[in-house]
Amino acid sequence: MSAVTGDMAAAPPRANRALRQLLAAFNTNKTSWVGLATFAVVVAIAILAPVLATHDPIEQNILEKLKGPSAEFILGTDGFGRDIWSRLVYGARLSLWIGGVSILIAMVVGSLIGMVAGYFGGRLDIAIMQVMDVLLSFPSLILGLMVVAMMGPSVGNLIFAIALTAIPPFARIARAPTVSVKERDYIEACRALGYSHPRIMAVHILPNIFPEILVMGSLWLATAIRVEASLSFIGLGVRPPTPTWGGMIREGFENILDTWWLSMAPSVAILVVVFALNMIGDGLRDFVDPKLKGERGG
Amino acid sequence: MAEAPALSVQGLTTEFRIGGQWHAAIRGIDFDLGKNETLALVGESGCGKSITALSIMGLIPKAAGRIAAGKILFEGQDLAQLDEEHLREIRGDRIAMIFQEPMTSLNPVLTIGFQVAEALRYHRGMSQAEARTHALELLEQVKIPSARQRLDDYPHQFSGGMRQRVMIAMALACKPQILLADEPTTALDVTIQAQVLLLLAELKQLYGMSMIFISHNLGVVATIADRVAVMYAGEIVETAAVGDLFDRPTHPYTEALLSSIPRVDRTSDTLMAIPGQVPAINRMPGGCRYAPRCALRQPVCERPPALAPVSGSAPTHLARCWVRAGGDR
Repeated sequence: MSAVTGDMAAAPPRANRALRQLLAAFNTNKTSWVGLATFAVVVAIAILAPVLATHDPIEQNILEKLKGPSAEFILGTDGFGRDIWSRLVYGARLSLWIGGVSILIAMVVGSLIGMVAGYFGGRLDIAIMQVMDVLLSFPSLILGLMVVAMMGPSVGNLIFAIALTAIPPFARIARAPTVSVKERDYIEACRALGYSHPRIMAVHILPNIFPEILVMGSLWLATAIRVEASLSFIGLGVRPPTPTWGGMIREGFENILDTWWLSMAPSVAILVVVFALNMIGDGLRDFVDPKLKGERGG
Repeated sequence: MAEAPALSVQGLTTEFRIGGQWHAAIRGIDFDLGKNETLALVGESGCGKSITALSIMGLIPKAAGRIAAGKILFEGQDLAQLDEEHLREIRGDRIAMIFQEPMTSLNPVLTIGFQVAEALRYHRGMSQAEARTHALELLEQVKIPSARQRLDDYPHQFSGGMRQRVMIAMALACKPQILLADEPTTALDVTIQAQVLLLLAELKQLYGMSMIFISHNLGVVATIADRVAVMYAGEIVETAAVGDLFDRPTHPYTEALLSSIPRVDRTSDTLMAIPGQVPAINRMPGGCRYAPRCALRQPVCERPPALAPVSGSAPTHLARCWVRAGGDR
């Protein structure tokens, strides 16, 4: 490794070994490459939505309503004559955005809460984790439903609701390794070097527990996308006519016996994304598996 | 000692809570550490050596432990009274510590260079590049071969002896006045031990540090220390210059420790083990704490002895024994 990095003095070399282990884990679990590729395609589609969309996703064209797939409308049209394909690619944007941002928030806030609870321990730990357990006892869909019903459906509120449901699992997943890492000799050595508690947590504990949090993140992103779709499906998502996958399923649901493809397209999209994320999660889980981790665990 | 000591510990008592009651793990520890002096704290496991060091560093876990009495005077401040924030400024900067286990005392996910540089960035506010240059110098000073290439290596790529050198580099980064070395060579094999001891002695000279060297190994102590304090069950039972102690071991415990060292020039059947164990801190005997294991036990040992001068030895040679050191107070 020293031969390769040679003169990379300025670049933080910390990532190299973790990256190599990640590649090894992905290679032993080939499906995670498939997942990663699929997810990358979905993200690319979402980013390129304005280019890929063949029609305006919101513009209604009542004359073309409920058309089957054709050359002009790749996946057909819905009850208002809107192009399904265009709505699907724009829906990908919103679904990924809501899922991604809410999980990012949950990851940051949840990990912080879990690390603080685990690091300081004692009554603070008990109090924090009791609150987390109460939140955890609600199924995420129910909790999300309650929050959105109270605050009203909007992108911001959806993100808040989904983040709230995902914070407790992140707090738990961050707390457990923190409790064991903080007892290690090197943390006492850090204390002997006079480092402050926030510094010890951020610089010395976080890198040790980050892989676990990352795995959780990939799996919960799938859940977040599902919850968003579910909330949209029951009418608590982003208001129409903004295209979302859950909303499209619901619109198609009204005519499902005659025009099944309306619900089919967004359902398949959700299925593909959730599958892809779970496959990535499998690879990442191998990466943090202590059996493969070997020397890294210390 | 004409000069003011670098560190003066007076009547230090540290207690731990066991089953709702406070019990002293160390009691009435007194010693002065002179400038450039190496004081060795010696004793078997559980006698309070490490607790003494942790008390000086202010690292006694607050939930279960406290410094109940005594002063730790350093640069005119009493460390026992200092709040956490000020202690943090002193720790790792002016008083540093090396731990016993080099294999686990380095963070496995951070590079050596980063960990050595971190103390400099934290205490001295150096930039990353500056601290890195300085870290390289430190690694060269502790004799890490091809230090420049190894700066970006991780702890698992180092052997135990090399890791202990890295620990020493970290501790010395801010040029501390006092170095606490808690069994720094115990986990290393013998040839490496000798190298690390030599290095410590060299660096002590170079930096003009005082050192508290904690060990259970009297052989190691004889090579590195100026003065020795033998601890038993949380008390100093004998203290003397290193030569006096090895010439005239006075306390029966010191004597027993010395005769339990295997030596090449003696046959192995004279090797003595000390019967029994250090009493648990919530079951301390009322009188002399060594009495239950002592062959010279007298009725007077039911009362606690004080440190008293050993007759016929240097005036700095004190022992806590009714039988051997008079202690007729």
